[in-house]
Amino acid sequence: MSINLDQALQTFIVEAHELLQVMEQSLLQLENEPADQDAIGAIFRAAHTIKGSAGLFGLNPVVSFTHIVEDVLDRLRDGSVAVDTALIAVLLKSGDHMLELINVVASRGETLQPAALEREAALREALSTYQAPHSTPDTGVQNTETGAGDTSAEVLWHISLRFGVDVFRNGMDPLSFLRYLETLGQITQVTTLTDTIPVLDSWDPESCYLGFEIDLRSTASHATLNEVFDFVRDDCEVRIEAVDETSHKAVSIGSELVAQAEQGPLTASAQRLPATSEPKNRDGNYVRVNADKLDELINLVGELVIASAGASLLARSCQNDPLQEATSTVSGLVEEILDGALHLRMIPIGDTFNRFRRVVRDISQELGKDIELTISGAETELDKTVVEKIGDPLMHLLRNAMDHGIESADARRAAGKAGKGHLSLNAYHDSGSIVIEIADDGNGLNRERILEKAQERGLVASGAVLSDQEIYNLIFEPGFSTAEAVTNLSGRGVGMDVVKRNITLLRGTVDLDSRPGQGTVVRIRLPLTLAIINGFLVGIDKSTYVIPLDMVQECIELDEHQRQSSCDKGYLDLRGEVLPLVDLRNHFSHEGSAGRRQNVVVVRYAEHKAGLVVDDLLGEFQTVIKPLGKLFGALRGISGSTILGSGAVALILDIPALLNQIVQLEARTTQAPYSPTVVAR
Amino acid sequence: MAKNVLVVDDSSSVRQVVGIALKSAGYDVIEACDGKDALRKLTGQKVHLIISDVNMPNMDGITFVKEVKKLPSYKFTPIIMLTTESQESKKAEGQAAGAKAWVVKPFQPAQMLAAVSKLILP
Repeated sequence: MSINLDQALQTFIVEAHELLQVMEQSLLQLENEPADQDAIGAIFRAAHTIKGSAGLFGLNPVVSFTHIVEDVLDRLRDGSVAVDTALIAVLLKSGDHMLELINVVASRGETLQPAALEREAALREALSTYQAPHSTPDTGVQNTETGAGDTSAEVLWHISLRFGVDVFRNGMDPLSFLRYLETLGQITQVTTLTDTIPVLDSWDPESCYLGFEIDLRSTASHATLNEVFDFVRDDCEVRIEAVDETSHKAVSIGSELVAQAEQGPLTASAQRLPATSEPKNRDGNYVRVNADKLDELINLVGELVIASAGASLLARSCQNDPLQEATSTVSGLVEEILDGALHLRMIPIGDTFNRFRRVVRDISQELGKDIELTISGAETELDKTVVEKIGDPLMHLLRNAMDHGIESADARRAAGKAGKGHLSLNAYHDSGSIVIEIADDGNGLNRERILEKAQERGLVASGAVLSDQEIYNLIFEPGFSTAEAVTNLSGRGVGMDVVKRNITLLRGTVDLDSRPGQGTVVRIRLPLTLAIINGFLVGIDKSTYVIPLDMVQECIELDEHQRQSSCDKGYLDLRGEVLPLVDLRNHFSHEGSAGRRQNVVVVRYAEHKAGLVVDDLLGEFQTVIKPLGKLFGALRGISGSTILGSGAVALILDIPALLNQIVQLEARTTQAPYSPTVVAR
Repeated sequence: MAKNVLVVDDSSSVRQVVGIALKSAGYDVIEACDGKDALRKLTGQKVHLIISDVNMPNMDGITFVKEVKKLPSYKFTPIIMLTTESQESKKAEGQAAGAKAWVVKPFQPAQMLAAVSKLILP
């Protein structure tokens, strides 16, 4: 029988990863509260399920190692082994090893490297001290091919069956056993015995009064035949004998009569599992869907949005009221579908956050510092892609905070702080984006040293006056790395500039706040979703551009006179505030001269504010982001494209990059006051 | 019409493997992730055989079997318990509750099919 289990194997791998994560979290939980029975139950169940499932796929290396872990956990559960740090450490490492086993054996179908095998041997050794003295680390895989070896010649078997009265009530159908026997050989004769059927008055229709005498010609062994009746053993008498066909005399095989074992009241149930209620049963009402299918769906919904915009446009030009009404109903529904579809991709950031508990634990031990991690906002939902890609930058920031931010316990006490360092991860919604904060209560950044370094590297002109904030954010600049900061943890060639780049790729920004002696807060701002944005359409010449709506603050009309003066100066007086201007016509080198009337779109991102000079304001538009081809990867100021209802292509402006350009231009103008204000790139 | 088999296990990969094996043999499969879910799925459709894990969140297998045995329409439905070699006591407990058949984890899909076919045909 060939059953294709490839797809199920993928499920197993995903499931095992989740379970190992649960196991790790519960172990850390157990470290804090050694008496937590729920945590022990969850750890046991994770190991147990992995072992059971791995067996289905014949992944014996996984089964055999997990079996030992499960053994120890079983003893932990029944209280014969106590929780201590050493045990937690061994179990955490065992979890890591199980992960490696699953990655190597299940995902790639390879065998372990010698180094990993050595680790496994060491772990087995360490685990064995917690195992019960008598227990031998067997493989846990039952050899069920009992009697498969003796596929000898065909034998005529005589089987005497007497079913007990409760067989029906136990859900057993006597006939099904006869049918199953037929799969093992050829039934040559069946005699049904009805002599135990009582008189009609006392006949209970739910009881079974049947018996059978069966002749079976089969190559199966006695043990195999005996196994057939495993499930009814308690309820029936069965006698299996080989018939000597030459003499027609039953050969006695010994005490084959399986007495209806009166087991008496079952005493084994005394030890019940403690109620292991899992707070979040994730599997409950969820459907596991392939992420690709979801992407495809969202892509299609995107097309639907575009198509419906096209339909509305046509309807409006037809001047047909009922048609317009119909299309507007459709648009409304499409928008709802869009929201729903986008929500499908949202997953809580909590799983990513929780992974860091282990990281913080391990690193703080490595550094000899006592650091506690607090997590809040774990339920905040983010696009799946963002959640997947934010892990590495977060990890780097956390390591930095632990390595450079938080001081050693002695230094902390000397500074009048508690010996235990605090690290916090927090996520929350803020006006159309998600903010993730990494805060430590360490020493803060050294303003002078950063400035010194930046001047040394030529990132800042000497004599330039910078705010604290600006100085701190210099550490995200490429080429900035304080050499003496390199320890074995951070400084592994991945600088803060890489962190920033990764976040920028997710259309996010990062900034940093620090107070000397009190700590540092890094704030990452991320978009809610990557696929679709609410856009604001603007026209320049005959082209259309999209500005993300959540960055638009206001729109101002700019008459010819005002334009002349402000475009020359490069800024506008906005109610007494200086607003730098970018003339998009110039910036994107559109030919032809501007119309008589122009508009300024005031955009804001983080702390920066600027005005974009455009020809027309075309209003709001649900924008499905289509990435630009690789050819345009180097373009700055454009983050993607979209298709309008009319079928025309519009470019989406990358406001953070544009604003950045302005900031740089400003920096240049402060150094060289006579250079032109706006430079087309 | 094919016979319905209800597979109750908190591990989705176990459900999937058992499901693939049973479907290949011609059974229809209904999946449930714990005892509570399974009880819900028993109503409104006819289930001819139940395969249930023991150790599950929300409602464990033993409690689930006891609950099933209380349902009039499932009085005569065979139940297969998934036990492990380390759970002899659980097996006895399951049998006392009314699950007379069992398959020991870890099992090969073929073993599961053999156990099922002892009890019902597709």
